[in-house]
Amino acid sequence: MKKAILVLSVLSLVAWGLAQRYFSEKELQLIQSGGKAYAGVFQNQRPDQALCSLHRNRLPADLLPQFLEEQRALIKYPQNGRLMGDWKKGGAIFNNLQKANCFSCHFGSPVHLGGDVGPSLEKYGLKRGQSEAVQRYTYEVIYNAWAYFPCTVMYRFGAQGLLSPEEIADVVAYLLDPESEFNTKPAVGSR
Amino acid sequence: MRPKAWWVVGAALLLLLGLAQEVDPREEAKRQKELLLQTAGILPTELVVQQGEELFHRKGPSGKTMAECDFGLGKGVLEGAAARLPRYFLDTGRVEDLDHRILTCMTKVQGFPREAVKRSEVVAVAFYIASKSTGHRINVRLLFPQEKELYALGEKLFYARTGARDVGCATCHVTYVGKRAGVLPYADVLGKDQSWTHWPAYRYSNDQTWTMQDRIRACYGNIAHPQPDLYSLPILALELFLAYHNNGAVVEEWPAFVR
Repeated sequence: MKKAILVLSVLSLVAWGLAQRYFSEKELQLIQSGGKAYAGVFQNQRPDQALCSLHRNRLPADLLPQFLEEQRALIKYPQNGRLMGDWKKGGAIFNNLQKANCFSCHFGSPVHLGGDVGPSLEKYGLKRGQSEAVQRYTYEVIYNAWAYFPCTVMYRFGAQGLLSPEEIADVVAYLLDPESEFNTKPAVGSR
Repeated sequence: MRPKAWWVVGAALLLLLGLAQEVDPREEAKRQKELLLQTAGILPTELVVQQGEELFHRKGPSGKTMAECDFGLGKGVLEGAAARLPRYFLDTGRVEDLDHRILTCMTKVQGFPREAVKRSEVVAVAFYIASKSTGHRINVRLLFPQEKELYALGEKLFYARTGARDVGCATCHVTYVGKRAGVLPYADVLGKDQSWTHWPAYRYSNDQTWTMQDRIRACYGNIAHPQPDLYSLPILALELFLAYHNNGAVVEEWPAFVR
């Protein structure tokens, strides 16, 4: 048993070593002068981040199937199985700069003027309905955008632990629920 | 004023506000600069440049002023010097930008202890020295191996995705140039916007005097990524990468006046 654990840990170390690295040891050393917190983020760059960095956010086609599969595997769902939570809580998350900051890139919020880095989400729920497929797609894109759009700028809210599965379900409700102010009130800046 | 007059003033203000949202941020900065000049008679940038000039001629513990320092074109030569930074310096054996070279000057030549060097003083001197490069073209080179090494690091940092938000410079400043997340559209920092020539600058919206070092730190801070320390190699690397991509750009005005 002990032997097996030893072999396994050696193998995982080798796997880690073989995983795609973006920064060389020498470069990581130079980055250290940026301070502990800054350097730590580069030291701990994840293999998927390294891959996106290396290919400047455009992964070659032959890498895509495995990448997408790995990203899909990171997605977890709320314990109660419900993908639509409380739209009021979701609104507080969506419209908070410090929290999810969704409005900065997406148009459609009745609270803040939205940006145009991401697609407009204006009246999202009214346009798409609340089918299981739409709920799942919306939940999964918020949980891990890289499972649909490899290397996109959108934060991987669930996969990176920025939001819990329940919080993501709340945001899904904010976007989809016909009662949600996102769908009943006009978006700031709408004409 | 009568109530009706107030109403007119209010309507005019609202109209201005509405118009302000439509105008080009650079045009708006020019307008704000004119307004400030008309009301105050002097620009904040000019005040800081004057302050920097005084500091430049102040004697340090060694009895020397900053005129004894070499900013790349020889002792005390400032004309066009900032437009050629960052570069490798033989006397320190490292690549330095304007901020770092001022730090070197104050500590190694003027004899100030490192902890006595105030950031605000470095920035003021940077404003003064940079003012002597207005009208010059950016001209940085990759001649020394140290310059090449740092440039390569800057390029990697620029395209890196890191942190809990998977962020990186290029992800917005290449992919989403002209798109808006927040108030301003993303600048094409490697290309047509020639962002390297916009710093050091006074930011009127926040009453801040910043060099490019402060600007880069703010970029990271705005997207909740840990910030590199001032004067550190990652900042210098990013600066060298940006400056090199802006080679040939004419410095319209240093220090600049920006939103």
